Amino acid sequence: MTEYIEAGHAVDHGSLSGGAGSAPPVAQDVTYERLLQARSEPQNWLTYYGAYDGKRFSPLDQINTENVNRLTPAWVFQTGAAGMHAGPSTYAFEAAPIVVDGVMFLSGWDGWIWALDAKTGQELWRYKHAIPYDTSLCCGNVNRGVAVAKGKVFAVTLNAHVIALDAETGTQVWDRAYGDVRAGESATLAPLVVKDLVVVGSAGGEFGVRGHLDAFDMESGERVWRTYTVPKPGEPGAETWPQDGEAWARGGANTWVTGTFDPELNLMYWGTGNPAPDFDGGVREGDNLYTDSVIAVNPDNGQIEWHYQYNPHDLWDYDSTMEHILFEQDGRKLLGHFNKNGYFFVLDRTNGELVRVAPFVDRITWGEIDANGRITPKVYPEKEGEPVHFWPGPAGGKEWTHAAYSPRTQLFYVPVQDVGAEVTLRRREFRESIPYWGAGVVVDSTDMAGSVSAFDPSTGEEVWRWHREVPMCASVLATAGDLVFAGEPTGEFNALDARTGEHLWHFQTGCGHHSSPTTYSVDGRQYIAVPVGWGAWVEGFLPGLLGAPHGDALFVFALPEEA
Amino acid sequence: MATTNVEPAGLVSELGLDKQNRASLGRLLGHGSVGRAEEGEDGRMHATIRIPPDELAWEPAILALPHSGDLELEIVNDDENTHCALLPSNGDQQFLWLPNFSRGTASLKLNGPGYYWFSSPIGNDEGRGLTGAIVVMGESPPEARLDRPPQPRP
Ligand SMILES: [Cu+2]
Repeated sequence: MTEYIEAGHAVDHGSLSGGAGSAPPVAQDVTYERLLQARSEPQNWLTYYGAYDGKRFSPLDQINTENVNRLTPAWVFQTGAAGMHAGPSTYAFEAAPIVVDGVMFLSGWDGWIWALDAKTGQELWRYKHAIPYDTSLCCGNVNRGVAVAKGKVFAVTLNAHVIALDAETGTQVWDRAYGDVRAGESATLAPLVVKDLVVVGSAGGEFGVRGHLDAFDMESGERVWRTYTVPKPGEPGAETWPQDGEAWARGGANTWVTGTFDPELNLMYWGTGNPAPDFDGGVREGDNLYTDSVIAVNPDNGQIEWHYQYNPHDLWDYDSTMEHILFEQDGRKLLGHFNKNGYFFVLDRTNGELVRVAPFVDRITWGEIDANGRITPKVYPEKEGEPVHFWPGPAGGKEWTHAAYSPRTQLFYVPVQDVGAEVTLRRREFRESIPYWGAGVVVDSTDMAGSVSAFDPSTGEEVWRWHREVPMCASVLATAGDLVFAGEPTGEFNALDARTGEHLWHFQTGCGHHSSPTTYSVDGRQYIAVPVGWGAWVEGFLPGLLGAPHGDALFVFALPEEA
Repeated sequence: MATTNVEPAGLVSELGLDKQNRASLGRLLGHGSVGRAEEGEDGRMHATIRIPPDELAWEPAILALPHSGDLELEIVNDDENTHCALLPSNGDQQFLWLPNFSRGTASLKLNGPGYYWFSSPIGNDEGRGLTGAIVVMGESPPEARLDRPPQPRP
């Protein structure tokens, strides 16, 4: 009989790579005080939106309207894949790269997190979470980024855990489950660190769950509070749900896009998702609070201080999770929000009062919102089996991808999707973990358009527009170089003049954009970082590009170094 | 004429879909054997998977764990060729070279219910049948569940 050879013990796959294995201790002193002043260290991109106010604006101006035409790739990181892992059909690279003193922290679609040398692109460490292949995902196998503070990197995983990693080594420090995969919950957002808490939201509204926000102690990983976004009978807002039955228990309203935060008011602003079932309003009479709303939440205890509902009794899947950008005008504390329903809202962020509402996309047929915020629905799924067509379609006039605001130009820049869809009411029984839409949906695949549009929040008027043949499906970035960066579904990464919309530069990356570019500098050199990786629910907003390349690279651009 | 068979394993075998050098499709689609991990007194789970000679299949092809947690896996290559194992685990995938007639171990950490793939990523071993699944049974932990009455399931 043959003797067995001793094969030893399995090793980390990453140990068989060129990775360095560890990162310098840059995250050690990323304190709450630094996060509050994030924009005062423009070399870094410390939080998901760059700063708590959600502006996606960087004070860096080395790359500007004069020299941007010389922008060139500095390095490229490719995530690759080996073996079989979760959800290959719907992945997309949707992260916002975080940069702390020369180290980039980046997440990929499958619970994968990397630390990279932000100057050279070299992999420093990697963490790969194992994700069950059969996780219920409505809109793709994605992750939008990490939060970094006090020596740790925080991330959520598709199977609805929140994890803390050691920022120097990538090893796991704690792991907490906060969503139920068996019920159809998942998690895709970048956590928000406020004070000593890590705040996260859940995904899964299309599976009839009950949305919630959870806060965990940064050090111990213990849960400090949970706030449901759909009230139980007896709680405030419960009267907006049917008094009998369990509609509230399946109501959706997930907070699956990262919130913003005003430290002076001590309020976080989280958008909430659509009610479930998305299109069948018959089983959930009433306004259905707090779906399709912005909720102002006290970070210390999770209490909802005020709310504004953008789409009462939504019948169009106009979830309102998208960013709420905090800005000031005439001494007033305001927030700006581009809703899926095609309207740009400006609210007083101290109390939720409507200041202004104006359309930001050309075709809006589902209904109308007047200057006072009064809504008149016009077209919606009403009769079983009878198709209706409306603009914007369920993907919205703008998707989850983010607008930007420049304090220099005092303009908002928004990626616009001008796409309609035909929706046919098809009532179904609720079952845990099964899609609970209540309709069949066919998205227009030919008659569509898109743009990057600039809006003046003091009037609600469009100031300029860079028109495209296809929808714009990636976040934009504004810089003090008076530039707006925007990626296209067809692979081009573009720079526009923030004042005029003039197209100044582009680079074909070989794959569509569906992420959030960021900017930073190392040793005095400014870089623009953009993950590219097309996919994830493309059928919802651009079915005509379903077959486009599905890349997985991070491109980093800079001006050529002086010889 | 279209055929449906209530016993797929039988038809797969009749058509030769479970043999190398014909088509190993039957094995690949997971009608291979199923095994369970044993739970030790320390709460860790233990199991053995092996590669029998000339079959290019994991034995068992589906390994069921009673719940999430830590798994100590013994991996045996009884085949007359070299293979490897790439296994799912939190932190990083775990990799092991498996020369002919070798045995090794792996420590895996899986933190939630559902199924996870493993394979031998060399020489298209995956396409020829060395693809398997680890199935974590059970529920999400109580603290992760929704505050609502029990709901119907499929
Ligand atoms: Cu939705």
